[in-house]
Amino acid sequence: MKKKLRWVIVTLCSAAIIASIIFLLHKIAPKPPVDDVEFAMQNLSKAGTNKAGTYSKKLYNEAKAAFDSCMINWTRENEKFILFRNFEKVEDYAKLSALKSSQAAESSVSNSNNLKSKLRVKIDSLNHTRQSIDKIFGRYPLSPEIRSRISNGKMLLKEAEVAFDNGQYLPANRKIADAEYLLTNVYDNAIDELKDYFNLFPTWKRWVQSSISDSRKNNSYLLIVDKFSRKCYLYLGGNKKYEFEAELGRNWVGDKKRSGDKATPEGIYRIVTKYQGRETQYHKALRIDYPNAEDKERFRMEIKKGIIPASSKIGGGIEIHGGGGKGVDWTEGCVALTDREIDIVFSLVKVGTMVTIVGSMKDFNEVLVN
Amino acid sequence: MKNRILLGLAAFAMVALLSSCGKVPQAKIDAVNAAIDSAKTLQADVYVPAALAAVQDSMKAINTEIEAKKSKLFKNFKEAEAKLDQALLAAQQVQTDAVAKKEEVKKSVETLMTDIKAVIEENGKLMKRAPRGKEGAAVLEQMKNEMTTVETSVADAQGMYDKGAYMDAFNKVTAAKETADKINGELKEAMKKAGIKI
Repeated sequence: MKKKLRWVIVTLCSAAIIASIIFLLHKIAPKPPVDDVEFAMQNLSKAGTNKAGTYSKKLYNEAKAAFDSCMINWTRENEKFILFRNFEKVEDYAKLSALKSSQAAESSVSNSNNLKSKLRVKIDSLNHTRQSIDKIFGRYPLSPEIRSRISNGKMLLKEAEVAFDNGQYLPANRKIADAEYLLTNVYDNAIDELKDYFNLFPTWKRWVQSSISDSRKNNSYLLIVDKFSRKCYLYLGGNKKYEFEAELGRNWVGDKKRSGDKATPEGIYRIVTKYQGRETQYHKALRIDYPNAEDKERFRMEIKKGIIPASSKIGGGIEIHGGGGKGVDWTEGCVALTDREIDIVFSLVKVGTMVTIVGSMKDFNEVLVN
Repeated sequence: MKNRILLGLAAFAMVALLSSCGKVPQAKIDAVNAAIDSAKTLQADVYVPAALAAVQDSMKAINTEIEAKKSKLFKNFKEAEAKLDQALLAAQQVQTDAVAKKEEVKKSVETLMTDIKAVIEENGKLMKRAPRGKEGAAVLEQMKNEMTTVETSVADAQGMYDKGAYMDAFNKVTAAKETADKINGELKEAMKKAGIKI
């Protein structure tokens, strides 16, 4: 009986000791920062959803690194005896990761929105540049290389728009940078070139004013060719009577310098001969007195200065003729109207009628605005 | 003698208790990680990024849970094991979805390629018949330049397609198609205005 009692007491005592040890271990063992780690994990996940890996890369990578360090330290501590574990570093890294993730999530949204707004503005601005290029330089004699750069710029802009519409702001940004480089460079260079050309505007204006005044004074016909707007105006007594579309030499920007440059000359000329029927291959033609004395003097000076080769010829045979209506600048330097239009002009003007050819009747700013 | 046996049993019980009841389901963890890696190899980050991120987040949560269990005196990984099973299925689903989405994008690129080649051909024919008066010819010159760029883009997209970069090819050819369609519309409009039968 006594033995049995002793057995029961020993068993109960052992169980009590074991239970006490377990209880003590449970109570005094360091607790891992589970809540902190879970919070860090949620924040990191939110940052990922907000595309922080793309729009707040540095902070997001720091948050990820801190979370990885947290988990590595936790695993390392778990490998130790339960009483020797220390979760301070785990907690620190978890808190650091949560903070960085939260900052990354916020800045990602802000960066993404800012980039989106910036891209929208850029896309609109580049589309405006693209339209200006089409409008101002549609028939400007740009080189094939420049034309190709414009087309490439337009395509990159389109690709940027597709990426933008799909919410891919970083690829859109890269495409826009490339498109901007091509389009803006071309536009700026072409505008500078055009600006240089328009330095002659005061001279053109003076020619136009004196020609109209002459037409008014003598109640005579006058033809004015505005090269930039591709217009040919017929005046009588200082008043505009007709307006025609004109086609010019392929290389129409600037004054004619020599034979074969495919440029349409600029200056005040007179009709010297009228051709029709078999006399011309362009239905009807009005030959002007290019080169006049001024042209000859300029040609001589340019050869002297070495601007043009000494072997150059000044050229001639510049006419206002029919055969136009092609929609491009195709002549060797003449001004082409449609056959119907040259019929009208031909019937009204005579040998000696003044023909004034200018780069533009509108100033540079007006040309840009219109 | 009995006391010794009892003490031995108590010590054994202590050791058993302290060394925990469950074992970390390492094989399952490795399987899920391998499945996620495979999904990445299949470009899940490109074709199904949200689904991949969800699986990666699940895995992070499971790892946290496992570490939390490991920190306890009594370890029980049954719940984590069940979650790992689910994560494995989800990762495998991501692999399947990535392959399917990639195939879908590939097919879309093929369709776009076929469509754009037809538009390029049609534009070439329309350009020959388009009105050339007034600004027409100059505009046609611009259109020709742009169509050359479109053709270059299509060639680039084909190169991307051949390399398996279907998403890049899709974006490229979509932009080219929009440009070609725009030109096609403008040509038809100009012809309609000029009374030319299309």
